[in-house]
Amino acid sequence: MTLTTLGGSPADAAVASHPKVTVLVDRCAGCQECVVRCPVEALSMDVATWTAIADDSKCIGCRQCVRTCPFSAIFIDGPMVVAERVGRPAHHLEQLEGNLEETRLGFSSWADVVAEASRCLSCPDPTCVRGCPVHNDIPGFIAAVRGGDLDEAHRVLRRTTFLPDVCSRVCDQAVQCEGACTWSLAGGAPVAIGAIERFIADNAPVPGVEQVSERGRDLEVAIVGSGPAGIAAAWELAQAGASVTVFEKDEQPGGLIRWGIPDFTLPRSVSSRAWDALEEAGVDLRCGSEVAPSELAKLSASYDAVVLAHGAGVPMRLPVKGGDLEGVWDATRFLVEARAAVAEHRPLAGLVAGGPDDVVGAGPGTGAGGGSGAGGGSGAGGGSQSYGLIPTVLVVGAGNTAMDVARLARRLGARPICVDWMDRRFAPVRPDELEEAALEGVDIRFSTTLGRLEGQDGHVVAAVLDSTRQEAANRLPEIVGHATATERVDLVVMAMGYRLDQGYASVLPGVPVSRRASGVADRGWQASGLIAAGAPAFARHQPIGQLALGRENARVRASLGVGDRLWVAGDALVGPATVVEAMAQGRRAAQAILDEQPRRDGHQPSGRPLRVLVGYESRAGHTERAARAAAACLAASSAEVKIVPLSSIGVAELASADLVLVGTWVEGLVVAGVRSAKATRQWLAALPPLGGKHFAIFCTYGVAPRGALSALQGEIESRGGVVVASAAFGPRPSAESSPEKLALSAIEKLGAQRSTLEASIPAA
Amino acid sequence: MTILDQTETVAPEPAPAPDPIAVAVHLRPPLRTGIDARFGPSDPAKGLDVARYPRVARLLKSRRFQFMLILPNQIIFWLVIFIGLLGTVVPGLNFGTAITWYVWFCLVFVMMVVVGRAWCAMCPFGGFAEWIQRRSLWQRTQRRLGLGLKLPEPIARYGFLLSVASFLLLTWIEEFFNIAVPGNPAATSFMVLGIVTSALLFFLVFERRTFCRYICPLSALIGTVGSMGSVAGFRTRDRDVCLSCKTKDCMRGGESGYGCPWYTWPGSADSNLACGLCSECYKACPADNIGLYLQKPLTSVIAPTRRRADVAWAIAVLWGLVVFQQFNSLSPYATLDNWLNRHMAFPNYPNPVDYVGIIAVVTIAMAGIAWGAARLFARPGLEFVGRGQGFIEKASKFRAYFLPLMYGIIPVVGADFFARQLPKFFKHATRVVPSVGHLFGAGSTSSSLYATRMLSNPGIVKVQVGVIAVGTVAAMWTSWRIAGRELAPVSSRPAGVRVAAVGLALVCGVAAAFMYVLMSAAS
Repeated sequence: MTLTTLGGSPADAAVASHPKVTVLVDRCAGCQECVVRCPVEALSMDVATWTAIADDSKCIGCRQCVRTCPFSAIFIDGPMVVAERVGRPAHHLEQLEGNLEETRLGFSSWADVVAEASRCLSCPDPTCVRGCPVHNDIPGFIAAVRGGDLDEAHRVLRRTTFLPDVCSRVCDQAVQCEGACTWSLAGGAPVAIGAIERFIADNAPVPGVEQVSERGRDLEVAIVGSGPAGIAAAWELAQAGASVTVFEKDEQPGGLIRWGIPDFTLPRSVSSRAWDALEEAGVDLRCGSEVAPSELAKLSASYDAVVLAHGAGVPMRLPVKGGDLEGVWDATRFLVEARAAVAEHRPLAGLVAGGPDDVVGAGPGTGAGGGSGAGGGSGAGGGSQSYGLIPTVLVVGAGNTAMDVARLARRLGARPICVDWMDRRFAPVRPDELEEAALEGVDIRFSTTLGRLEGQDGHVVAAVLDSTRQEAANRLPEIVGHATATERVDLVVMAMGYRLDQGYASVLPGVPVSRRASGVADRGWQASGLIAAGAPAFARHQPIGQLALGRENARVRASLGVGDRLWVAGDALVGPATVVEAMAQGRRAAQAILDEQPRRDGHQPSGRPLRVLVGYESRAGHTERAARAAAACLAASSAEVKIVPLSSIGVAELASADLVLVGTWVEGLVVAGVRSAKATRQWLAALPPLGGKHFAIFCTYGVAPRGALSALQGEIESRGGVVVASAAFGPRPSAESSPEKLALSAIEKLGAQRSTLEASIPAA
Repeated sequence: MTILDQTETVAPEPAPAPDPIAVAVHLRPPLRTGIDARFGPSDPAKGLDVARYPRVARLLKSRRFQFMLILPNQIIFWLVIFIGLLGTVVPGLNFGTAITWYVWFCLVFVMMVVVGRAWCAMCPFGGFAEWIQRRSLWQRTQRRLGLGLKLPEPIARYGFLLSVASFLLLTWIEEFFNIAVPGNPAATSFMVLGIVTSALLFFLVFERRTFCRYICPLSALIGTVGSMGSVAGFRTRDRDVCLSCKTKDCMRGGESGYGCPWYTWPGSADSNLACGLCSECYKACPADNIGLYLQKPLTSVIAPTRRRADVAWAIAVLWGLVVFQQFNSLSPYATLDNWLNRHMAFPNYPNPVDYVGIIAVVTIAMAGIAWGAARLFARPGLEFVGRGQGFIEKASKFRAYFLPLMYGIIPVVGADFFARQLPKFFKHATRVVPSVGHLFGAGSTSSSLYATRMLSNPGIVKVQVGVIAVGTVAAMWTSWRIAGRELAPVSSRPAGVRVAAVGLALVCGVAAAFMYVLMSAAS
């Protein structure tokens, strides 16, 4: 099978040089990490020397071996032997004003898709799958496309995603699957994974919600929010036969994918498909019903589980002088009102060129002709006005939302200027979106920020801009020049991102308000070579592996839950992020619910044993012995027990445990204070919010435990954990405390705890 | 209900939906054929795994293990530096020079012969630089200092030869500045400081223990001579587990251990050549599949089925160096050296031309003998085609003889290096006591221990010849074994080539012993 084709004519192919592979035999340990991953079997083992040998004539220069060699004992010189990326026809709208037609086109022919699909190497260790937040089996569906089976390709996609049509349009593939594509990591052009996915999603027959299991048969789950996280949770639960009720505060379901993304990026027919299918499957959708944070306890009492997927919908505003002037909007308001205006071919109220005299206060934008209509009108259908009469929209920010705002403003006939304080190299915006916006005439200025706004009669008329400088992707930009430019503006839209509703943040333990990137290198990820890939320019100088790992951690955290029978997913969990991440987390939360089978009456459904995770930090072996004794006792009482050293417990392990038993030795002097071992404290410090996870703790001491145990308990409780039992074991066995007693009392308390669950949920 | 232990290889919780990554990953199966032939001879016996004992296991698991080995040496060598600079200028009474040249160098050779890279595990030079490179004394952290570069391939492809070159250079410097006699104690201090500084520099530029593996002057010597040692190093317990290991934490580093600083994989180690005994792989292994193995002496010389050209050349050059060090205390050498210095206007001993010349003559002589053996014994029509690519792995008729023959004489080369250190030890080791006393105002050159000699000159010669005799017998044994396995099958006269190989070892030994007699215990 030929996976790759050489570029150019067949004559070129005959002389095209293959890369030169050098194995440094001194350092090659024969571990075969490269051999097992080489997609074209160019590497094999020399048994006599037990080192890898390469067949240059097979090598295609993808450099996976270079990335995955633990000892950097393999080098490749030469070209990547792969065909040019198949281009997609550029689609420029001749008439922008009033036009909501989709701008980005998919592949136009089956031949193009297959040609692009044949650039995929079907890597044995596909880094693209790790780069994808939902871990779509990318080589799987591409292989199906190559095989001509679109139906099968869609089936492969459905295993992991519910929204392939949405994700393939709105995902920022450059930092996800395509950024992690082998060709991309090697410095070449990645396989157009997003476009192939879109072709499948648009052209394969799409079934509705399919019943796949009966695991959720008796479950009643409430989901707050109907955005991508809510869709995924509802879909996963509905597939398992659960009864799902979704509360949506807007009149239309879909959340951000409905109102946040304009039609020219995500057509309404695509964004509404998911809810059509879900409603058909019997999901109880209650639009226009907002769940206030204070009503959570009530909700929790009437459902077996609650998933909070309300998103992070509060737009952020730049606190500048003049920010409270009339004509300073946030992105949400602009997106909603401007879309309505374009769709209805009418001018947007409040968006009028000229002085404040012409402006009537910006109304809600529902009534046609809500604007003053003065000055000959602007916007929709226009385009024939003289330049001086074109209204100017200043968009603060140049991210994806800002691009949407600016391009929508163009469709209203306005002149948009985007300013972003970040350097262009590091700005988190899709490169293709940036390009399209620029082509449509959006004036995008990076390294520029809004200094202050000037008003006249209470309405904004001018913006004073400052210039900034940003040295590196992980450094904040700084202002280097004040008032470097002044622009006449008619409307200012703050499109700098969103944050979580403070009301929810205050009732959820430990949910970060803004986005937080974390990531401990997972060994399997390390082995794939993705972590080593560094921070290439195509990913805007962000470390591609770390980005993927951060998303993975958030996905696992979504399964952990934040309180009893309470899960959070999507932007509500991690702060403003992407559709696909929200979907991944929503699905993971739903899987956790199906796995845990919570019941509002506290009754443990039969057939599922209590899962206990025992972790110990032992020095001389006393702690480990005590932990094993407790574990044996728990196992005897028919719990499912897993015992591991504390350091190897990660979020994933925590997520699946009903009870975590933590044992540690203590260090310090009796006079100066005794604390749990440093390793234990470090482990605790690295934990995510524990959201009501049950803990039993013990320490082993030589002389006296002093405050060590209560300090440990405090630390766990400060992270939202619930300590149900604790004990300290001295050097001599004692009658009143033993590991067995601790284990039994923990199980007992856990039973009692389950019946008083409602009390632990923060009430109004 | 059962307790799932992390050591058991059971699947974790039954996942409701299969992990999508695991579904998409389809690694090719690793090659498992030919393993027995390749590693069977060099794999240590299961019973010789000392990490089976819980106490040893606990010690090796402790992150402080290597730190505790390094710490005493660290203290001693910083004392050496400061006392060498600030203490008395009488070399025999200065603690710095006394401990370094009368005792330490000798001890290093004992450790080499008995253990292998024991010194590397406790070396304060690499240890100090590693602390700084890792920004940590013993903890496993993700912190790092320095550029973390890889040694460029054009240099690294010559394996241990760079280390041999730096050993030649250091030895010449040490002879030229009269450091090891010992001369002025400050010279010793500067030499140690120089080693520490260059180690630190290389640790900050390159990743892991690139310095130790490729550049350290003692690396090639300890590696080759150390292969006589009885510690096989950290090796896999079950190679199948290693081959199917998905993460290779021993190489890449895991939660509790760094990746192998020496570029060695326990899963494929066939000798103790490049195992620094640092125990990082043991700590990192997620499957507890690594043991610390003992082996019979000389196993790492005889058993490996893979012979490396860099090691063979290293042995030949090191043999040349030790022959030079013997020859330079004989009168013909003094005549030659003086004559050269006069004509080259070179200030003093040792003249670089005769230094390099004598070593080269011996090296070329060894190569010539191998070439002759190949001409004499090689079966006609036999193709010597290796599939290896680099300098280390290329195959030829010459190499088919040169490599086994050089491996065979390792014991006599090691014995010779060791014997060369003995006069200083037997004549002056007791001076360490007054030199320590001197620091506290007690010891002096009039102290009886200062003048005590443990052995008379004839006594020393007897011990030296004895050491050489033991080394020669060992070398004859290893040559016999290696020739039987590797030379006999390619030779037209299998018995003849074995006898010839043994003869070479014997000749080397006799020549060395003869020179020791002539030297009459010169230091």
